[in-house]
Formats: sequence, C-alpha cells, structure tokens
Amino acid sequence: MTTVSTSVSRKPVRWGRLALHLGCLAALLIMLYPLAWLLATSLKPADEVIASLNLLPSHLEWSNYKTAFEGVNDVSIWRLLSNSLLIAGGAVLGNVISCSLAAYAFARLRFRMRGPLFAFMIATIMLPHHAVLIPQYIIFNQLGLVNTYWPLILPKFLATEAFFVFLIVQFMRGLPRELEEAARIDGCGPFRSFFQVVLPLTRPALITTAIFTFIWTWNDFFTQLIYLFDPEKFTLTLALRSFVDASSQSAFGPMFAMSVIALLPIVLFFLAFQRFLVEGMASSGLKG
Amino acid sequence: MPGHRTKGFCASALTLALCAVLAGCGGSGESVGGGKVVLRYTWWGNPDRAERTEQAVALFEKQHPNVTVQTSFSGYDAYKQKLATQAAGGDAPDVMQLDYRQIDQYASGGVLLDLAKEKATLRTSEIDPGLLGTGRVDGAQYAVPQGRGTETVVYDVQAWKASGVPLPRLGWTWTEWADAVRALARKTGKPGATDPGQSEDAFEVWLRGRGKALYTKDGRLGFTTDDLTRWWTFTDGLRREGAVSPAEQTTQLDGSVENTPLGRGKATSDTNWDAPSSGYLAIVKGGVALAPMPSGKDGTPGQYFKPSMFLGVAANTGHPKEAAELVDFMINSREAAKILGATRGIPVNETIREETASQLKDFDKTVADFQASLEGTLKDPPQAPPSGDNALQTTFQRDYDQVSYTRMSPREAAENYVTEAKAELRS
Amino acid sequence: MTTTDIPAPTARPYQPAGTPKRRPKREREGAAWVFLSPWVLGAIVLTLLPMAVSLYLSFTDYDLFNPPRWVGLRNYVQMFTEDPRYWRSVITTLTYVVIAVPLQLALALLVALALKSMKRGRAFYRSAFYAPSLLGASMSIALVWRALFNDGGTVDNLLGTGGWVNKPGWALLAVALLTVWQFGAPMVIFLAGLQQIPAELYEAAAVDGAGRWRQFRSVTVPMLSPVLFFNLVLQTIQAFQVFTPAFAVSAGKGGPADSTLVYTMYLYDRGFVASHMGYASAMAWVLLLVIGAVTAVLFRTSRSWVFYASDADGGVR
Repeated sequence: MTTVSTSVSRKPVRWGRLALHLGCLAALLIMLYPLAWLLATSLKPADEVIASLNLLPSHLEWSNYKTAFEGVNDVSIWRLLSNSLLIAGGAVLGNVISCSLAAYAFARLRFRMRGPLFAFMIATIMLPHHAVLIPQYIIFNQLGLVNTYWPLILPKFLATEAFFVFLIVQFMRGLPRELEEAARIDGCGPFRSFFQVVLPLTRPALITTAIFTFIWTWNDFFTQLIYLFDPEKFTLTLALRSFVDASSQSAFGPMFAMSVIALLPIVLFFLAFQRFLVEGMASSGLKG
Repeated sequence: MPGHRTKGFCASALTLALCAVLAGCGGSGESVGGGKVVLRYTWWGNPDRAERTEQAVALFEKQHPNVTVQTSFSGYDAYKQKLATQAAGGDAPDVMQLDYRQIDQYASGGVLLDLAKEKATLRTSEIDPGLLGTGRVDGAQYAVPQGRGTETVVYDVQAWKASGVPLPRLGWTWTEWADAVRALARKTGKPGATDPGQSEDAFEVWLRGRGKALYTKDGRLGFTTDDLTRWWTFTDGLRREGAVSPAEQTTQLDGSVENTPLGRGKATSDTNWDAPSSGYLAIVKGGVALAPMPSGKDGTPGQYFKPSMFLGVAANTGHPKEAAELVDFMINSREAAKILGATRGIPVNETIREETASQLKDFDKTVADFQASLEGTLKDPPQAPPSGDNALQTTFQRDYDQVSYTRMSPREAAENYVTEAKAELRS
Repeated sequence: MTTTDIPAPTARPYQPAGTPKRRPKREREGAAWVFLSPWVLGAIVLTLLPMAVSLYLSFTDYDLFNPPRWVGLRNYVQMFTEDPRYWRSVITTLTYVVIAVPLQLALALLVALALKSMKRGRAFYRSAFYAPSLLGASMSIALVWRALFNDGGTVDNLLGTGGWVNKPGWALLAVALLTVWQFGAPMVIFLAGLQQIPAELYEAAAVDGAGRWRQFRSVTVPMLSPVLFFNLVLQTIQAFQVFTPAFAVSAGKGGPADSTLVYTMYLYDRGFVASHMGYASAMAWVLLLVIGAVTAVLFRTSRSWVFYASDADGGVR
C-alpha cells in the first residue's frame, strides 16, 4: 500500500522514491499496453489483425492509413475532422456558457423553489438517456432540426448536462464570499459581479468542463448517428463505424488506423489544457 | 402531412397536455430545394458498396436532372436503429433499404408505400415471382427485393483437401455433413465447422429440409418444441464430440468474418451467407470455396434464394413518383447494374443477371457461379417473417447459449424459446 | 453516451446564498431567473417533456410504428413476474456495480496517493494514467479488449486463465476492467482533493508521533471523505447505467449466456431491437427509481462517515 509521504519526513527516502517511480512505471506499462496494441494493429496486414497473437506486425501495412485518409463515402477525412471539431467546439462553448450561468444562480442567488429545482437538476443526472431518446427525436423533428448540428449543440446551450452545472456549483460555493460582498458594496449588480468577480475565479472548473465536454462529445456515437443523415455532415466517430459492417466484408486494419487518427485531436486537446486540471483546482482558493 | 403514427403519437401526447410546446405536428415531405426534388435514400453497407452506390446515384441524377438524391449509409446494426428512430418520428427517408425481417413491421406500421400505386414507373416483370412475393405483406407489394443471396458452407479449400475428407457436393444431407465435420475434426485436430446451433438461419435450412418452416402463412410459429429439441440435440452432440466449435469460440461471433472460428483459424468451415464470405479471401491463407447447405434426408433442399435486401418507399414521401423512379433505376437499369455488380447480392432482374454474369469478377463471379449451380433445385422462399422475428433472432442465439454452456438441456432451452416466441408473435 | 465519468469538485458545506444588503430582493430574484433561463428552457423542453412522454409510454404498448395503446400496469407486472431475463439483467448489473465501483475508486485513489507524494514527474504520470480515459469505449477499443481477453490473447498467455470474454463467469469481469481501466476522472478528482489537505495537519500529526499509516487513517481519510463520497455517488449512479463497455465487449449481444446483459442493454434490446418501447420505458422508470433510492441511502449513510471541515452537513445535497 502506498501511503502518503509527508512533507515533514526529513530523512532522504531515495529508495522509497525509486520504488515509487518503478511501481508507477510498471503500472503504466500495463495501462498503456492496450493502446500500444491499438497502434500496432493499425499497421498490421489484414490476416494478422485478429488471428495473429504478436504485438508487432510482420511488416508495416501503411496502406491502412492510406485507406483511412481516403475517407468514407467520398467524404474526405479532413471534412469529417472539421465536422467533429465544429460539434465538439460548439458543445464546449455551450456547456461552459450555459452551465456557468445556471450554476451561479444555484450557488449564489436567491429565488423561489431553489431547493426543489436544485434537487430536480441533480435527479436528471440519474436519467437513463435511452428512455428519452425517442421523445427528444420527435421534438427535434417537429422543430425541423434533424440532419443539422442543432440537436447536438443546442442542448449544451440549454445546460442539459446537469452534472457540469453541479460541478461548477460546487466550485462556486468554495469561492470566498468576501470578494462579491466588496463588489456589491462598490455598486456591482449580480451581472457585473458574475462576469468580473466570480467567472474569472471559476476558470479551473470551466476548463475541466471544457475538457470533459470535448472528449465526451468527440467520442459520442449514438446521438450523432440518430440525428445526422447527410454523409457530408458525418463526424469521424460516425464514419469509423462505417468501416465495420456485419453483412459485408469489413476492414479492421483501416478502421484501427482511423481510430488512431480520431484519437489524435483529443490527445492534443487534452495535452494543451491538462495542466490546468489539477493545479487549477488546487490553487483557486478551494481549500477544504 | 404526417403519417398516422405521428398523429397518433401527438394525440397521445396532447392528452397529457404536452404537445402544446411543440409547434404543431408537421411531418416530413417538404423536401424541395431550389426547385429541385430532393430524395433521401439510405442503406446499410460498407465503404465499397457506398462507393458503387454513389456512382450509380450520380448516374441517376444525370438522367433525372430535376432530382437530387441525398444518400446516407451506416453499418447494419446502427442503420436498423436509426431507421426505427426516424420511422417513429414520422421522418422515414423517401427511399430506404430494408431487411427481410423489417418489412412486416414497417409495412404494418404504415411506414411503407404500397408500390402498386407506382406500378407505371416501377417495373417488376423481370423478377422471379417467388422472389418478388417476399416483399409482399397482406397481399400488397411494400418492398422490392434488390439482390439475392443464399447460405453456404464456406470452407478452407487447402485444409479440407489436405485432410482427405471427401469434398461437399450438391445434395448432401445433414448426416453426411455431420460425418464430414467429424472426420475433419479427427484429421485436422480442430473442429470441422462453426456450431450451427446458435443460428436461426441454419435452423431454418434444416427445418425446411424436413418440410416445415419457421413461420406459418398466418405468421404463427411453424415448428414445435420437439423440432427445436431435435435440432439442438443434434448440434449439442456434435459440439460435445468436438466436431463443431466449442461454446467459447461460437460465442465470439459478431457478424464479422474475422471473428468466426474459420476466420480465427480455429475451424475448417463456416456456415454463412454467400456474398459476405468474400471477406475470408483476405484472412484464410488456403483460399475458400462455397458449397451448398446440406439438405433433408430425402434430399429436400432447405436453403433458398433469399432476398439479401429490399428497397421500399416511405408512405409519407412527398415525391412517390421520383422515389419509384429511383427504385426502378436501382433494380432494372442496365447501366446501374454494371456499376453495382454484385455488391447487393446477385441482381434479381433475370435479364440483367444473365447479361452481367459474364462481366462479374473475382468473388462476385464465385458467388454467381455458386448460385447458378443451385438454380432450379431450390424451393420458393417463405414470405417475409412476422415482425416479432426481430426480437426472436437474438433470443434464439441466447437460448442456445444456455445449451452450449451446459446450463440447460436442449429440451429446456427449446421450451423456453417456444414460449417466448409464442408471446412475441401474439403481441 | 456522453456522461461516462464524472469529475467532482471539492465538497463544501452548502451555505445559504448571501443575504442582499443593499439591493431589493425582487431585483435579485429577477436576476436569478435571467441566469437560469437557458437551463429552465432546456429542463422543460428536453428533459421534463421527454420524461413525461416516457412515463406515459411505460403504461402503453408502443411498437414505434403504431400509436401507443394504453395497457395500464401490464408492462410492470410482466417485468416483475414473467420475465426471467429481466431478473438476470438485474443481478448482472448489481454484480457489475459491486465489482466495478470499488475497484475503480480504489485504483484511482491509490494512484492519486502515489502521485501526490511525488515531487517530480507528477504531470507526466497524471497525463499518462489519464490516457485510457480519452478513448471512451469506442468500436476499436472494444475490438482491442476482446482480443486481449480472448483465449490465446495477451491475458491468457500471461496468466494462463484462458479467454475471459467467452466464459460466462469471467466476461463481466472483463467488462468491469474496461471501466476500471478508464479511472482517469476519479483520479484527477482525488488528486485535487488531496492537494487541498493543509500540510499543517500532517505536521501536527507527525509531532504527535503518528506513523504514516496512522496519518493516512486520521488525516487523509477524513479530510478526503467529501471527495470520496462525491466520487462514490457519481460512479455508482453511472455504474447502474452502464451500457457502452458491456455493449462493446460483447459485440452488442450481452453474451456469453447473458452474462454481460446489463440492465440498460436489456432495456435497449427490448426498446430498439424488439420494438417494445412501452416495456423499455417502464424499465427505464424502474431504473430511475432504484438509482434514486440507492443515492438516498448513500446520502443517509454518509452522515456517519463523511467529514466536513465546516460544520454544515453535506456539500452535495
């Protein structure tokens, strides 16, 4: 059991540290093995993809990537990529704006029914989404929004992902109240104190929201499948599925190659923002 | 103009005073863009089929300058679900590819147009009447078969030949098949075939070989618990002997050739549909060949030419004539046939089938030759299965899992299945 | 399937909103509704309305194609008394919750503790351990997982256990491991929580002669309990709704022998494959009520083990 090493231990614990690093590296090796497998398989020739037990391909089959880059259904991979980016970007913007607005009201403002509404919001986290899929589809269809990106983006602008609201509420509750009090005494209304005082301090929570929204939207297959019709509007995730078809010859090699390509943007996005994740959380005055 | 599904749905919602939020109950069909008729056409398939379909559609658009076709495709499972959601929302595409199992449900749910209304545009005279009949529900033609396929025993040629076991031949019986897989298992040291017990399709072939059918004409169960018990006892016995794949292998079937025992190099043969078997070429080093399915004791053939997919038109399409034109084009146009090849199964239009037979290449030709060898020996296909069959296909495989993992006896599992099937077919 | 895992903030006592001193109450109330308006609109149109429709559908026979037909409680009765597969799926789901949640939280906590005590390389490890969570349960990772846990796959070769995904007793474990493997989100949350524990507390404990284990027991655990609770609640809720990993690992079939047919997969199967949308809606409502009840129980027990630094009784109400 690894226990917390304390800041007071003055003795050099070099061996302990070494063991810790070795342990972590070993764990990482196991953790990342499946990813290595994914990467290696994307370069395997067709007859080795499933049948071969070797991690490494007998020769590098770059044509998998060539096939993947040709895109699907005459839609280039760049088009698919930019569609995915558009949707994920829209979702990030929507969630960050709408969830922080709602969270501010729940965390800091007074209004009738606040308790019950807050409880209701938390309850929606528990809602299995298959149950509301058909009614939601009918609504979007009646609004004439099927086969557009609206059903994928609009809900984010309406703060339907309650759990981000919850996340930001918990953050805002931790912010020192004095700052707003001071702002209020200076004559700031709730709007100015939200934008000028609270929002900047909530940045870590907003970045967390952005990262998770981006990753989840990027990987989401189901909603995109239901609402998008026109292959020109398809996303990478959606196109990926087209490589596997139960009733025809499938192409596992190119599918793995496309998976790797689809993974790159999330990795880059994550690497760009991950440093804000924890340091941000810890340094924003959120001390228990 | 909404289909009656939408109306019914909104009416129900209104009783809850919820529909007020919805701005009326408009339907689909207003698909006119820039003075042009816009048709939505969806199918399931792989990128190769997509490419060929796109080319055919482009040709159709050239011949019909007033029509724009918006196409869309996905894998089969995803497609099924998407289409169901669209249909439930009153938003079915104008032209849709359908599976045998979907027709009854979509037709009786009012999603499909009775194609007799567009008889003038959509010709069906060159399709075998038996095959055409598969798209009929309650006497109305709701869908037209687009290609045909049939089941096959696909095997690793090199391994089978090397084993010295006599090769399969036309008219072999299930007993001969069982002897062959036993001999293969002995000689090669691995199972001779995929355990066919989990497959409703294989069961149907076996059942038809005994003169019965999965469903009666009025959509009831066409076999008894005893029949199913006999089938599962037969396959369960072979599995216990090691002649067919063990449960741990069989359960990995996911529809892809890669994950069949043959594809994973764990068996010498597989029962599959003819066209998808082309996938084996890339992964079975010894090459593959297609053999007919075994027939009944008295030589009654169980397999049949099954429409591999259908085309249907939405009942609430705004452009029934143009939609019918597209269907007609996909099925009867010679130019389209040239582009499409056998990507949707061997063409159903008999004139086209004869004309194009010589132009087919590679595995398409193998499949065409295989089907030609069966021509005239098979019985008419059954009519489209009742809608409950959608659920039963999975149930069949699940109940057999209980047998192959030795949790239930074949009879117990068969009783379970028959009970569930009866309930499903009643509702 | 957007909500796969949940980052949590630091738990804080729920403080009443500040009492306005200079502005009239009504104006602030108006402001609150302005802030809330997008959420209210979304909650009504995209949540309440569909929920009401699905509640209504749960009392009907609805096949997606024909208008729903009122059948009263028949779906519920059938579910509880006539459907053995339903009960199998309940047991499977409960088993999954009991395996996956503690394993994932334990692993996340363990790694967070290890990283916390690190001076150098923490950022690297954190990103690397997070990497699997970036994938979700996509098509390709499903294939990878099935290949790894197959007979003759990597796990079989290393441990000699044979395949996992093709044995009824083992397949669910492979599904759970896919979830556990993606422990990035709870790990990040634990790490945030750990970094908030004031160093003075450890120093004081050390002065009192507490060893490392003692410090862990009496400082880390209580100080971390709100975050632990938060993770526990959210991961439990999500475990009850598990769909994607089971769907992926079993290629959508819930096999072998129904051993990975979890609740939402059976719900999906009934609704979209068998076209019994009424029955599926009823299943969804039962699930919603069960999750609600379990969450309530968790909150009830939390009073005895969750320690809030401030006096109020709960950061998550």
